[in-house]
Amino acid sequence: MILTGPEITAAHQDGRLRIDPFEPGQVNPNSYNVRLGPTLLTYTEPVIDAHRPNPTTATRIGPAGYVLRPGELYLGHTLEEVGSDTFVPLLFGRSSVGRLGLFVEITAPIGDIGFHGQWTLMLSPTRPLKVYPGMKIGQIMFFVSVGPVDLYTGKYQAATGPQPSRYWRDQTGTGAVA
Amino acid sequence: MILTAGAIAAAVAAHEIAIDPFDPGRLSTNAYDWRLGETLRTCDGDLDAAAPTPFTETRIPTGGLVLEPSVLYLGVTLERTGSERYAQMLNGDRTTGALGIWVHVSAPLGHAGHAIRWTLEIRAARPVRIYPGMTFGKLVFLQTFGAPASYQQHGLKYTATDGIDISRLYEEIPGGAT
Repeated sequence: MILTGPEITAAHQDGRLRIDPFEPGQVNPNSYNVRLGPTLLTYTEPVIDAHRPNPTTATRIGPAGYVLRPGELYLGHTLEEVGSDTFVPLLFGRSSVGRLGLFVEITAPIGDIGFHGQWTLMLSPTRPLKVYPGMKIGQIMFFVSVGPVDLYTGKYQAATGPQPSRYWRDQTGTGAVA
Repeated sequence: MILTAGAIAAAVAAHEIAIDPFDPGRLSTNAYDWRLGETLRTCDGDLDAAAPTPFTETRIPTGGLVLEPSVLYLGVTLERTGSERYAQMLNGDRTTGALGIWVHVSAPLGHAGHAIRWTLEIRAARPVRIYPGMTFGKLVFLQTFGAPASYQQHGLKYTATDGIDISRLYEEIPGGAT
């Protein structure tokens, strides 16, 4: 079951989920709108290597906006820290952002129960698109879970700002350099 | 929890879900198989989240129309769907996916209270010919948890759309077009 807006607000108040900062105006009938943080990361090597840490460079989105280019992958982040020890969070774009051709996540909408932090956004535009810091870019919805819960303690816990892929950390005994 | 075909049919009969036109033959195991409408808007310029999107509108001829990669298309569902009780999620199906077609750009959620022909954000991985009225994806219905809130009472942007809506994000951005 997916939480209604009033239940998201109630769960924020009683601690079943945490959204910081929380703004009642960002609650939708079945989700919460999250805003775009100011920092973008891009990978600097021409080929991203899944088995290695990949160097990145950071860009700050100024108040006049920043143009995202098709063919580039930008790692952004939510301004809000969002998480829950009770519900399963799912992050998607907003329809207003989808209509601008901007992918906000790439094939990974589902979060873990127990993750708390800023969410990394995987921004990939279809057309050149100017974006602005603080714009409401995505929405997080929450699902009721069934079964015992083993809280998330993974490698992105308590993230602040965009997080590059740490797939390389999971390589064990496969000849990868870590 | 997600509704099965039998539960969707029962909810349509009870007027808890509206699908117009409704064809019982389009119910699949746990979804309704929706179709592509005949209008398409092509967005091939540079976009700005703070400004309305320029577009050209065409009708998809019965002989089909070829989608080109790197162009953003806004389409529309043939059906209008809505429910005050259930949240909806619209996606492609495995047949459209295997043609390399995205039917939306990371924004699948329809809030409880939506009563719309959905705007589709279409992107193609390779040139691909599409046809008006073709089966294009699956719409699923989700039970909600908590006190209900209707999209119709939120004063939101796309409450009763009957065609394709360009993004109206510019209304939210300070200094954006009004």
